[in-house]
Amino acid sequence: MKIFLVIPLFNEEKHIVKVLKGVLPYKLPVIVVDDGSLDSSSLKAQNLKLKNTTILQHTINLGKGAAMKTGADYAFAHGADAVIFMDSDAQHNPEDLPKFIRSLDEKKCGVVFGSRNLHFGVPLVRYLGNKFASALVALFFGIYVSDTLCGYRAVTKNAYGKLKWESTGYGVETEMVIRTGKAKLKFCEVPVETIYHSGVKGVTPLDAFGILAQVVKWKLTL
Amino acid sequence: MEVNIMIIGLQIVAILFSLSMVYFAALNYKRGELNGVEIAGWMVIWLFTIIVVIFPELLRTFAKTFLFARVFDMMVVGAFILVILMASSAYMRTKRNEKKLEDLVRKLSLKKK
Repeated sequence: MKIFLVIPLFNEEKHIVKVLKGVLPYKLPVIVVDDGSLDSSSLKAQNLKLKNTTILQHTINLGKGAAMKTGADYAFAHGADAVIFMDSDAQHNPEDLPKFIRSLDEKKCGVVFGSRNLHFGVPLVRYLGNKFASALVALFFGIYVSDTLCGYRAVTKNAYGKLKWESTGYGVETEMVIRTGKAKLKFCEVPVETIYHSGVKGVTPLDAFGILAQVVKWKLTL
Repeated sequence: MEVNIMIIGLQIVAILFSLSMVYFAALNYKRGELNGVEIAGWMVIWLFTIIVVIFPELLRTFAKTFLFARVFDMMVVGAFILVILMASSAYMRTKRNEKKLEDLVRKLSLKKK
């Protein structure tokens, strides 16, 4: 199975080099989608001159969901059978990549969700917020994923065709879960470590309220 | 007496609001953001609003036809309907434009490679 790594990138000049160097040992083709960064993120990624890495540019910032879609479209058009999405803020541990590869390759899961838990040092507020979101999605759509907001996840080409999300922003993760349930795709969860450090942007409380409103919208429209 | 003062106060606020909207429409026209037909349309709308606010009696027959007790009630209901229509139309247009922009930016980024 040919697996590509897709990394949406927006203003992460401090972390992108570490992220790209961190994934090198796994020898996966990497697609970095610079989503209109205003800092030197893209330049730093280009300066590494990595052989197996392609950098795509959004001329303006569209949001994480759109960047993920661009990366996946490119990967599948260039022979990928599956893609793994990873954040560019060095929160995701590359050592977890084999778990995704095994789930795609051996367990034949269409979608693989990374799942953080308190054991891996997730702040309590985020943990409770995630659990609330999981419960709400389970109640509305009948699919339970223990961490609906984790960006570390994978999809096969076949699953991607059925998922094609509309969210351009942070709602993408939740929409993927909902569409997985709607399309009745086989999915797995793998425990992942999340490294919290200063300067992490992630989902703000305002984003969380926005996602909550979107869940209600998806209940009415999907 | 108190009711009359309140209504005059509301009329003054409505007139000032309409005049400021006339100013903004003219400003947008000067900047080239509105064409001749659009500015004429907006001027007619705001001038009509000012006339109706000053002489609400003009709409009394209308209000009676639609079983409104007061002209003011009819205007409030009409304004609500108008605002909802405009908000939903603006929402749909924004959504369409966002989609077009997203498709264009994504297409360009894939084309460059």
